[in-house]
Amino acid sequence: MLAILRRELIAILRTRKAFVLQLGVALCFVGLIALRWPTDGRVDLSGTRSGQVFGLFSYGLLAAVALLAPVFPATSIVTERRKGTLALLLNSPLRAWSIYAGKWFGVLGFISLLLVLTLPAAAACYAMGGISLTGQLLAVYGLLLLAAMLYISLGLLVSSLAHSADGAVRVTYGCVLALAVLTLAPYFFLQQSGGWLSELAAWVRCISPVPAMMEIVGHGDVGSEAAWKGPSAVVRFMLLAPLLASLFSGITISRLRYHLLDRARSQGLITDNRSLGTRAARRAFFIVDPNRRSRNIGNWVNPVMAKEFRSRRFGRSHWMLRLIGGCAILSLFLAFTVTTGTVQWDLESVGGPLVLLQVGLMVVFMPSLAAGLISSEQENNAWPLLRTSPLSGGRIVRGKLLSALWTMLLMLLATLPGYAVMIYIQPTLWLQVIRAFVCLFLAGLMALMISAMVGSWFRKTAAATTAAYVAVLGLFGGTLLIWLARDAPFGFQTVENALKLNPMAAALSVFNLPGFRNYQLIPASWWVAGVVIVICFVVMRFRVQSLTRPE
Amino acid sequence: MSGQYAVGDEPVVEVRNLSKRYGEFIALDDLSLTVRRGQILGFIGPNGAGKTTTIKILVGLAKPTSGVAKIAGVDCASDSASIKRVVGYMPDGFGSYDNMRVREYLDFFGAAFGIPRKRRIERIAEVLEITNSTYMQDRYVESLSHGMQQRVGIARTLLHDPEVLIFDEPANGLDPQARIEMRELLLKLAASGKTLIVTSHILPELSRICDQVAIITQGKLRAAGSLEEIMRNLNQRRTIEVQLPANQDLVEAERVLRNSLGETAVVTASPAEAMLRFETTQTDEELSQVLASLVAARVQVSQFRELQTDLEDAFMSVLQQQRAAALAAETV
Repeated sequence: MLAILRRELIAILRTRKAFVLQLGVALCFVGLIALRWPTDGRVDLSGTRSGQVFGLFSYGLLAAVALLAPVFPATSIVTERRKGTLALLLNSPLRAWSIYAGKWFGVLGFISLLLVLTLPAAAACYAMGGISLTGQLLAVYGLLLLAAMLYISLGLLVSSLAHSADGAVRVTYGCVLALAVLTLAPYFFLQQSGGWLSELAAWVRCISPVPAMMEIVGHGDVGSEAAWKGPSAVVRFMLLAPLLASLFSGITISRLRYHLLDRARSQGLITDNRSLGTRAARRAFFIVDPNRRSRNIGNWVNPVMAKEFRSRRFGRSHWMLRLIGGCAILSLFLAFTVTTGTVQWDLESVGGPLVLLQVGLMVVFMPSLAAGLISSEQENNAWPLLRTSPLSGGRIVRGKLLSALWTMLLMLLATLPGYAVMIYIQPTLWLQVIRAFVCLFLAGLMALMISAMVGSWFRKTAAATTAAYVAVLGLFGGTLLIWLARDAPFGFQTVENALKLNPMAAALSVFNLPGFRNYQLIPASWWVAGVVIVICFVVMRFRVQSLTRPE
Repeated sequence: MSGQYAVGDEPVVEVRNLSKRYGEFIALDDLSLTVRRGQILGFIGPNGAGKTTTIKILVGLAKPTSGVAKIAGVDCASDSASIKRVVGYMPDGFGSYDNMRVREYLDFFGAAFGIPRKRRIERIAEVLEITNSTYMQDRYVESLSHGMQQRVGIARTLLHDPEVLIFDEPANGLDPQARIEMRELLLKLAASGKTLIVTSHILPELSRICDQVAIITQGKLRAAGSLEEIMRNLNQRRTIEVQLPANQDLVEAERVLRNSLGETAVVTASPAEAMLRFETTQTDEELSQVLASLVAARVQVSQFRELQTDLEDAFMSVLQQQRAAALAAETV
């Protein structure tokens, strides 16, 4: 186990990525404290100021752990399997649990190192006064370690199931977002219903570290309207996180056997060659059967776009139909629940969850769709083939971006039924809905272009996907972090300026959602988004041009 | 087969004084060579010799620092857009896409080359037929064996019916059966009038199919021409084996050989095989005198033969010459 632990940790520490992460995290948090360090001679005995900084510091650390902890484990097992070194490990006297523990502690060691690098900033925060050492500072670090353990176990589990490193990164980030954000949703709707369902939702909610963190920093409770009964969110998270981590670890260890390597290659049975009955049954099940012989690319279709849809795992029509169907059902369900259900809101506020749903979908999907557009070609050795074809750089970029853009538009359109319900109930809302839709379109396009641009600078798809997720989540989540610290420590103008970078915030302000209704974000937010999109496009175009040019 | 080109003396690939520098590093140094229509050129050299750099310039992926490279009259450096239509290039690594079937893979590249849909359908069937790959058209590309992928790769290069095909290590990693199939396929393509440039580390394979060989080391062309020409120019020394029926005459035979060849001659005896070997620069007539002297000394000789040299020997000779030259330069 020690050999693997040493190798894993050293392998991570040797990468330039690790160095950048360590430096970035240390500088970022030290900078945060330095910005709010008292400059006048007076001492804030109440500790209000340090409490404000400490809140921001804690949420920032939690966001950093959620973004960084899954990256390394997510690629760990799948990369070893593809390179063939997993077979060597399984062929050694090392036991499955020992291999797993080596990897697990290796990544945990690195995350711990990152957390240690933030200790000077935490100490400075503590020195400002008003913060309890055990009740707050140590509790935050304990919570972060627990969250890291949970996400590392999750990353390793996904890695043992995935077929490619970039796929593992995508799924892991999706799962982390689901565990951190989606788990909050049931309680949001069921908290006033009472009974076992409400209690269950309360427990599910505590799978996310956010309520526990809010409790520690003294920010009350996110989305909670009813009085909180039973154990605190911190205690619940302390119980649930190790439990889930153990469950994920157990499944992963049970998978670390030879059968992981003993998979037959798909023979690609084609439906056209099968019996009439089978064909009919598959038609009914899939609507668009993925195994039927596909038509040749049309003369006027961008071949790169068609290729992207065909080679993308979830790019085939049947997956698109499922995605649209899922989005439409979710959107209608949300609209139905909040208009007829337990929460007494005005109709405008219904738009909030819809906006969050749509942006959540786009933040999860866009980096995974767009980050690997260029890097996957380089990783698969297909870039020289494209370069020796008559396709121009511009056509390649257009084809690739269009393939992601169509998916994004389908997702946006699929969530429209929820808005249709709103307009049906209150027709005067149509202008707000259109404005919100423009914001969402820009949010999606911005996520797409940032992901595509960031990803184009990497040669490995997994690294490109990670960087794109960090950039997109950093933009959408980072501005919300500043919003969380509105008026304390950030002033109104700072928060408004930050929110102008985030079209999702503009969409929420259109619906006058509490906390957003005071900010005037439109049309400035549209302009900012437009400029960011154009810059990203130009940079990406330049990058592709430099890659297609003769050396 | 579509696009039959007449085999002839007309040069299709012309490289003159080609040089490529990356800063101080010289990747190619004044390289010149010509390949005629329908010929197969074996382009060999150790790793880092400059083969891939040359190929990259020929297919328009790199620009030379100086010199000219033309394929079918098209300048590779200044007209890299047109060069793509006259060259079919298969790199060392097979560029695959996940979740794509062979037919879809070829369809994509056909569309990328702007082949109209109707014509593309026919052309895909043709190239699959040429490469004996029709049966795998519905298989996923990533699920194919290496040999199958190489054939699909060749099918891809044929889609736009180029005049010149450039294959980088097509036999690399193939099993013996797949290697034989690959050899036959390359000969079939050459017979149809395509001009081929093939690099390979498996030299016996190349020697069986190539009309011309170019040996490159450290960016310089060391030898070019047919295998026989290269051997004649490079390897003046011939290795002769003298097989005796039994080893009792071995000492006497060695004495006679030394007398005939001179005291400085290196003659090695192998008592276990009852055989003597020596290297010489003597002509056939002079060697017949050596044999006559053995017979005159009443040494029974069962075989007196010259060891045939092959591409590997030629390649090794070039390397040895280059090392000797480098050593001499260092000594000076």
